[in-house]
Amino acid sequence: MLRITGGTIYDPANGINGEVRDLYIADGKFSSKFDAGRTIDATGMVIMPGGVDVHTHVAGGSINFGRARTPEDHRRTHAFIRSKTRRSGLGGMAPTTFATGYLYAGMGWTTVNEAAVPVLSARHTHEELNDIPIVDKSSLVLLANNEIILDLLEEGEDERAKQIMAWYIWAAKSYGVKAVNPGGVASWKYGNDSKHLTSKISGYDHITPGTIVTKYAKMIDELGIPHPLHLHCNNLGAPGNVETTLETMRHLEGSRAHFAHLQYHAYGGDDWGNMRSEAARLAEYFNAHTNMTTDAGAVLFGDTVTITADGPWQHLLYKLTGRKWGNLDVENETGCGIVPYTYRPSNLVNAVQWAVGLELLLLINDPWRVFLSTDHPNGACFWRYPEIIQLLMCADYRNECMANLPLNIKNKISLPEISREYTLYEIATITSAGPARSLGLKHKGNLGIGKDADLVIYHQDKDIARMFGHPRYVFKGGEIVIEEGDIRETPDGKEYLIQPFYEPDIDEFLRPRFEDRYCMSFENYPVEMERIEHAQIQKCTGDDAEDGDSQ
Amino acid sequence: MGGKVTCTLGEVKNRADFIVYWGGNPAECHPRHFTKYTLMQKSKFLPRGRKDRTVVLVDIRETKSAKAADHFLQVRPGKDFELLTILRALIKDQKVSEEQVAETGLSLEVLKDLIEKMKAAKFGVMFFGMGLSMTRGKHMNAAALLTLAAEMNAFTKFVAMPMRGHGNVTGADVIMRWQTGYPFGISLNRGYPRYNPGEFSTVDVLVRGDTDCAFIIGADPGATMPKPAIDHLAKVPTIVLDPHVTHTSRLSRVHITTAPAGIAAPGTGYRMDEVPMPLKPALQSPYPSDEEVVRRIRETIALRPDWMTNQPQMIEAQI
Amino acid sequence: MSEVILRLKQDPVVTLEAEVITPDKFAEMSHEQICESIVYHGKRQLRLDEFFEVEGEKSEHIVLHGDMHRVRHLGRAMTMGSLTAHGDVGMHLGAHMKGGEICIRGNAGDWVGAEMSGGKIHVRGEAGQQVGAAYRGSLAGMKGGIIIVDGSAGIEVGMRMKRGTIFIRGSVKDFAGLQMIGGTIILGEGAEIRTGAWMQRGTIISLKPIDLMPTFGESGVMNPTFISVYSNLLKPHGCELPNDQNLGCYRRFSGDRSVPGKGEILIWQEHALN
Ligand SMILES: [Zn+2]
Repeated sequence: MLRITGGTIYDPANGINGEVRDLYIADGKFSSKFDAGRTIDATGMVIMPGGVDVHTHVAGGSINFGRARTPEDHRRTHAFIRSKTRRSGLGGMAPTTFATGYLYAGMGWTTVNEAAVPVLSARHTHEELNDIPIVDKSSLVLLANNEIILDLLEEGEDERAKQIMAWYIWAAKSYGVKAVNPGGVASWKYGNDSKHLTSKISGYDHITPGTIVTKYAKMIDELGIPHPLHLHCNNLGAPGNVETTLETMRHLEGSRAHFAHLQYHAYGGDDWGNMRSEAARLAEYFNAHTNMTTDAGAVLFGDTVTITADGPWQHLLYKLTGRKWGNLDVENETGCGIVPYTYRPSNLVNAVQWAVGLELLLLINDPWRVFLSTDHPNGACFWRYPEIIQLLMCADYRNECMANLPLNIKNKISLPEISREYTLYEIATITSAGPARSLGLKHKGNLGIGKDADLVIYHQDKDIARMFGHPRYVFKGGEIVIEEGDIRETPDGKEYLIQPFYEPDIDEFLRPRFEDRYCMSFENYPVEMERIEHAQIQKCTGDDAEDGDSQ
Repeated sequence: MGGKVTCTLGEVKNRADFIVYWGGNPAECHPRHFTKYTLMQKSKFLPRGRKDRTVVLVDIRETKSAKAADHFLQVRPGKDFELLTILRALIKDQKVSEEQVAETGLSLEVLKDLIEKMKAAKFGVMFFGMGLSMTRGKHMNAAALLTLAAEMNAFTKFVAMPMRGHGNVTGADVIMRWQTGYPFGISLNRGYPRYNPGEFSTVDVLVRGDTDCAFIIGADPGATMPKPAIDHLAKVPTIVLDPHVTHTSRLSRVHITTAPAGIAAPGTGYRMDEVPMPLKPALQSPYPSDEEVVRRIRETIALRPDWMTNQPQMIEAQI
Repeated sequence: MSEVILRLKQDPVVTLEAEVITPDKFAEMSHEQICESIVYHGKRQLRLDEFFEVEGEKSEHIVLHGDMHRVRHLGRAMTMGSLTAHGDVGMHLGAHMKGGEICIRGNAGDWVGAEMSGGKIHVRGEAGQQVGAAYRGSLAGMKGGIIIVDGSAGIEVGMRMKRGTIFIRGSVKDFAGLQMIGGTIILGEGAEIRTGAWMQRGTIISLKPIDLMPTFGESGVMNPTFISVYSNLLKPHGCELPNDQNLGCYRRFSGDRSVPGKGEILIWQEHALN
């Protein structure tokens, strides 16, 4: 048992805004009483629930492809040295698995959601997730360009498509559904793209990206999946794409939806020269429609590697930069592209992107619906989150940074007119309570009795980036994992998954279609349950079950 | 800078209407490859199967695979890099003269025809084998082919893929990458991963005699490596984990017999396109798996004092 | 002039990584500090004086004696002073070097002056592979300074180099100037194959006939004045380039067209004596 006394608590899930309270921990959960055990004095310190990353890319074929393509970055980054209790690893743009766990925990994040898993290589993703220590994990499976499901929608077999979706989620031992550039990746396999919701998808006559997003959102709601459709809209990164994004949002009225990395989907103009921010317009629509959540996908200046299932966008980026390019198409399901990239403040497009990410975070007024993310590693690496928190909390600092932007950025962004500063309570919401709620992880991002004792204790510090970059303590499951920057313990994290219902005869329906498309045996395709270490199956219902955590 | 543009084998099966084999002999070395993935399969996009595909073989001699191909291009030995580089120039309409092409053993006309076909393809794929990557120029030959495939994407969809040898080479590569950031040629002597093929790759370390012990799993370097490397293996304490007696086990100080992976030991194998396959053992073995042996060795070593003390948890600048 | 003198007294069994042996570090260190500084013998951390007899202290001039072919990273990232070795040295000599001078009276291993940006390295014997090159995956190799090798060198001399000069008096193996971005490579005794492959820019001067990639085109003969200017600049380093039009001329080739690049290869051709 353990007691933490005197800390100032920010626990948005329970409406606690900066109150001094004691916390008790027993058996890895918050407890109402304390009999005996260690006491930690947190007087004068700030306590928040451990961070939850709703959208990151830390494990699986794509990031691992990225690692292979960037040895020069591995060499210039910081290295973790092995010890008897710690594995070695490298940080940087695409950190190795062990380092990923150390770096997330090191800044107080205790749950991460890997947002892009092809079913075909889900086994690989889980093997990597098993090698990420400390944090709890979940993953989303890529289904929006799955040709078997698209074929069924084309044939009007919607119910069957839903069953297959459920089958795939369980086959991948996944936690939800990610849709990337719906239809566009399927077109890319013939070198085309589908940029608008009414665009043709190569190989199909009756369905469009619009059909896919609406039907998918509906199917996911009907299956009672805890996290809504996790959507990477069409036309990512292109000037003028705000129209596509708004069109997508209008398609989804009445359904739940999570819009991933909205920053990349909020541009006006019609070419790179006149690209401007449309964050204000997007935020206005978003504020008025409470069926949606989003994560920022914020950009920070510096080096990174862009990794996405959006193959067409990556080829464009390769042509724009002339840098190294990697692309991997996955049969029947998806693809991924990899291009190292440097965001520069002097580059007008990059400067607009930087501003858009912050504008969305500042203009969306409900912190329960917009979450901190960089779409790691695309906009910036996750270990730079403290810098974004500083930008959100200090208008002066933001203005200082804006002085480095090109002069002709005026009229292209609205950031200079925004004076809002985030409070600690709001930071705790966008980094933890909000994403946990959106993911449907009821025992996360919450310091209430019986919830998982994942929390972070910060020194009060005027230097916000330093404060959030160097927690005094980080607790995971009631155990001190980080103390003043030192990694104390490296427990294995849990992995969350769901088992949505599907008719048992779906196997036999799927088998011939599968064998026609894949070159892997049907039996070998689903990931076996014993492959998942510390698996936690979450309930899949529409109603609010008392405890979603089936132990 | 070029790049690596690839796909899983099912994409080839479903979509590839233009297939190049370069420096490999799949008909004899990967017999199931043609039937399972490439030539014979029909698909939604290629309903007539073989008839909808064009197959080109590039090699230094006419192997059995040539019979299965529509076009056979015989490149002069040691000229693969030159030929690939000429193709990179030609797809960009750069001038290369008839005489310059001639040194590769082919004619400008043949290459122009090849490029026309490549550009006309809807989905092209280039497989390359050891004949390319293990001859003079090695990694640069493979780089030339990968770059050509990447650059072809300015015109149409094109991908490239190595035809790997036997054993779970790809699996080792994949796991090393997620644990260390690098695929092979890694040193951990400083307590963190460092990468430098040529410096840390096994064959170079052994040839230079830079190691005083060797631990070999799932490989038989005693059969394949150059003599100075084998001599060094015989000189230092070499420990081999292998289900069978091998050239390496014969010269080793210790040979631990293990259960054959995939046959009697479970796990994951990674296919040449990095798709993970579950290994479901059909037999039981009286011997422990490689994994178990390594784990027990590790546990024993962990009881001994650490040789790396006073090390920081993390360093900012690597060597 | 004070010096720190190191004499190898015990041969390393495996590689000895000794990046601490640089003028920048020794300039500040007392005799005791030098003796106890850490070197890596394989995975083991040992004191430098387990391998070397140490003489002198606090000097930016280092002199080494012995067969150090297993000793790696000498002069790493040095910015000043001098390092002189009487004997062979191992890999990564002067890698990331920014200034100062290295002289090796023996042979050097691979990666001499890799990714260096300033200073001078002179290897009196032979050098290994990747002289002045980029490490795997890096976008640029050597970015400044000068490397002179009196003997021969291995493959990939000046791979992806951006600026600076490499002069190999002897012959080199394949891929000299591979993916070169800028700078100058001078080949005294020619090269094996694929010289200048995939080069974007930069200049390779060969004083002996060499085979070229089929993706280079000939663009005339010349006795360019910049060769004479260059020759004068290099003279203090003991290199001279012929440019007497009575004796011969340079055939100029440009490429690599596969990139397409604007690099140039100049090959000195003596007039036939009739
Ligand atoms: Zn993403």
